[in-house]
Amino acid sequence: MKDTLRRVLAPIASLKLTVALLAMSMFLVFAGTWAQLDRGIWTVLEQYFRTWWTVIPLGIFLPRDWNVHGAIPFPGGWTIGGLMLVNLLAAHTIRFRWTKDRIGIFLIHFSLIMLLVGEFATGLFAVESRMTIDEGQTVNYAEDVRSVELAIVDVTDPSQNRVIAIPQRALEHKKTISHPDLPFTIQVDRFLPNADLVSDENAGPSALHGNRGAAVSAGVAALPKAVARGVGRDEADMPVAQITLKDGVTDLGTYLTALWFTFMPSRGTQIVDVGGHRYELWLRFVRHYKPYSMQLVDFKHDKYLGTETPKNFSSLVRLIDPEKNLDHEVLIWMNNPLRHRGETFYQASFKKGDMGTVLQVVRNPAWLLPYLACTIGALGMSIHFGQNLLRFLRRQRKTAAHAAHPHPAREPGRPAVAGAGAPHAARRVR
Amino acid sequence: MKRNSSTFGPAIAIVLAVAWVLSGARTAPVDPAYDLDSFGQIPVVSQGRPKPLDTLARTTLMVLSNKQSLYMSATDATADRKEKTDDMQKVPAIRWLIDVMSVPEKARGYDVIRIDHPEIKGLLGADADRKYFSMDEIVANGDELNRQFRLAHDTPDRDRSLYQRKMITLSQQVSLYFSAEDVASMFLVPPSDGGSEWGTLADQSSHMMGHGDLPAESRNVTSALVAWQEGDPAAFNAAVSAQRSLVESKVPTIEKKVAFEARYNHFAPFMKAMALYVLVGILAAFSWLRPGRAITATALGLLVVALILHTVGLGSRVWIQGRPPVTNLYSSAVFVGWGAVALGGILERLHRNGVGAIVAAGTGFATLLVAHNLSLDGDTMTMMQAVLDTNFWLATHVVVITLGYASTFLAGALGVIYILRGVLTTALNRDERRRQVGMIYGIVCFATLFSFVGTILGGIWADQSWGRFWGWDPKENGALLIVLWNALILHARWGGIARQRGIAILAVIGNIVTAWSWFGTNMLGVGLHAYGFIESALMWMSIFIASQLGIAALGMVPYERWRSVKANG
Repeated sequence: MKDTLRRVLAPIASLKLTVALLAMSMFLVFAGTWAQLDRGIWTVLEQYFRTWWTVIPLGIFLPRDWNVHGAIPFPGGWTIGGLMLVNLLAAHTIRFRWTKDRIGIFLIHFSLIMLLVGEFATGLFAVESRMTIDEGQTVNYAEDVRSVELAIVDVTDPSQNRVIAIPQRALEHKKTISHPDLPFTIQVDRFLPNADLVSDENAGPSALHGNRGAAVSAGVAALPKAVARGVGRDEADMPVAQITLKDGVTDLGTYLTALWFTFMPSRGTQIVDVGGHRYELWLRFVRHYKPYSMQLVDFKHDKYLGTETPKNFSSLVRLIDPEKNLDHEVLIWMNNPLRHRGETFYQASFKKGDMGTVLQVVRNPAWLLPYLACTIGALGMSIHFGQNLLRFLRRQRKTAAHAAHPHPAREPGRPAVAGAGAPHAARRVR
Repeated sequence: MKRNSSTFGPAIAIVLAVAWVLSGARTAPVDPAYDLDSFGQIPVVSQGRPKPLDTLARTTLMVLSNKQSLYMSATDATADRKEKTDDMQKVPAIRWLIDVMSVPEKARGYDVIRIDHPEIKGLLGADADRKYFSMDEIVANGDELNRQFRLAHDTPDRDRSLYQRKMITLSQQVSLYFSAEDVASMFLVPPSDGGSEWGTLADQSSHMMGHGDLPAESRNVTSALVAWQEGDPAAFNAAVSAQRSLVESKVPTIEKKVAFEARYNHFAPFMKAMALYVLVGILAAFSWLRPGRAITATALGLLVVALILHTVGLGSRVWIQGRPPVTNLYSSAVFVGWGAVALGGILERLHRNGVGAIVAAGTGFATLLVAHNLSLDGDTMTMMQAVLDTNFWLATHVVVITLGYASTFLAGALGVIYILRGVLTTALNRDERRRQVGMIYGIVCFATLFSFVGTILGGIWADQSWGRFWGWDPKENGALLIVLWNALILHARWGGIARQRGIAILAVIGNIVTAWSWFGTNMLGVGLHAYGFIESALMWMSIFIASQLGIAALGMVPYERWRSVKANG
């Protein structure tokens, strides 16, 4: 029984497979690095690392103007990582015995398993969003800047807004959307993942127009644009949805809703009055509402004297969490995040003129794993390589002692001291 | 008798080396009448940090002419050794800076701006073989140069031709020159009691408009410059010493560090260490031709002297900056060298076969040469970007990962020696071969430890500052590649896939992996870590990779054809 297991596992546990997997992982990482010249990090992540299978274009390794075509299929990060895990576990099952000499190796490999699992869990469960707060403003949501939603905000009661949010996926599938709380239906005419807003008059035939709302008052139309590659600072997708609202059969007008409008609320606010209710229409980053809120008390951005090099960014925020009875000020700055309710808040960026702060909000249930893995791995390596070193030094001392009294070698014609580490002894006798 | 030569020979050599090193600590004055050394120790805040005028002079001249000294006579000056005339004397950069600050019209005639691109030389109406140009010449052709600069400037970064990039460089050199002339805007005025903000002479003179009297803070420097202009050494020395005691009374700690930095500049420990590394390399190589205890002992002794010098340089930088040793690409090169030399020295101490000494000397020299070339960009002690402004992570992650680079390079260097000696000489007998592979293996173990721990520490830092442990950023990937490669070598050995020369070849390829991670990823120019892109570095990098591939290929020559194997079996 044990022998069968052994025979089955032997090829899976082989060191040759380990070496092959290490080499393959290097190639994948290398390719995934070069690919970042053309694609944003999130695209690369999805295409190379957080996938079972990938296709690597050969052109990524060469100057782009050579226009080399052709690609090779290759296992993705999850396949290689998974195989490494299997290889490692199989090796431990059949080859490793619990001896003093093996403790180090075992700890190292255990830490590697934790790292692999940690990265896997991060890929699956981590959520990144950001909080943009102006000085003095209080915010109770974080935004996912990688997707948008169509928010229909009932502002009839100024003390309490009701929001109905339609996710990007629903908008992309271009159909009629209704909601029990809405007195009208929304027909998505077109959804553009990226578009420019241009002046209405010289927009050209491919542009999308509206006949009500901000598109009319600001005199703009939307021109479709290729999706941003995500390389460089200023390239971000600016989606636009052209929607027609209908109250039963009555046409309430065609609106352009654009992410751009959220950056200029004075011109971008679009209001629809239906059945005694007043609604605002916003195409905005997806918002995750929180049971707590944050107020930006002060944002600081220091530079070194006589330079533009930033010395420090820091946000003094007031954290208000009624459920937890918290209401106090916290300073968040570079390398010093705030951890609250399983989320971590980092100083990520700031608004023009230092008027507001941008905090990165990360929820990652696996965040502690690398910390543990690092400790265990370092311990394991110190033990293992320490043992190696001691063994080597002991051997060295032995040969040195041997070389110091090379009595038999004094006889002519006899070979010099054998073994490692004794060339001087050999030379001296010569 | 034999015993004497093997003890005294090395001792004499080491004493001589130490004497040579220490002789550099004293300065020979350029002009005995003027205390220029003291002038060079006056602090100025530039690029965000207080530094001696001597550093400002050196780094400015370095960017303008790739040199820290020039040739000067009473009426003329040039950075070009070939152009110098008999009455010219080699002088340090501060001698040039004081002319720029005090007698700018005269200094503009000095040939100190290096221009290499033939088309730009053509714009100045100069021959292709001239290298250094004066500010006067550039100003005279200002209109056309300006037009060319505009054209280059309006071209997007990626599409610029070499000519256009050199135009941009020239414009940066010119504006740097102008800022060196602009004494009024230099932050020369120490903070008044209790404050921390340095002021400029211009601030002070506007202050004077209100109060009618120029305060001593700014009078000193101005009077020194006037005295220099009028040729009055006594007034010059008095003004300089007044400024220095003023600074000492206002900001004593800064004064101390700044004066120390000026002496450090002059001492140039890394240049001296480089010279010693060359000597050690030659001695160690010679010890292979004519084995002898004295020669290996001398090599090891000199290596220790060089390492001490290297350590002194590193320690000085740490003290001046108040930061851990690695803060930028330049200091990483210095530290990689230091780590490799220290490990190589230990190997030499253990084995005493010249191998440790030669790889230590080789990597020490090469990395300091790299560092020297990186210093051509200007000040090497620049302030840290906000995200890097944390001594804790600089001291842990950065130091450990840099030791990882150092040990991987050292293993690679050992591989190179193994292959070259094995294929080309008959020196590697069976024992020696086994022993050298043992050395490689030991160093690879170290390299794995350092690069693994360093990489994970980096992940933890990233988690602290950006909210993700691992972002697949090019620099992170580079570090990961080193870990994977070292792990691959170890597993290949344990699995019997690579035994002796296989390990050596893999270690040599490790040099490529490390070089790519260290510099190549910066050249990609993407990612949060991309702190420096150096053009000519790309060429050197390609040459390095080609050479390592060449050596690895040499290692693939069938074993029976290796001269060492043929001779020793």
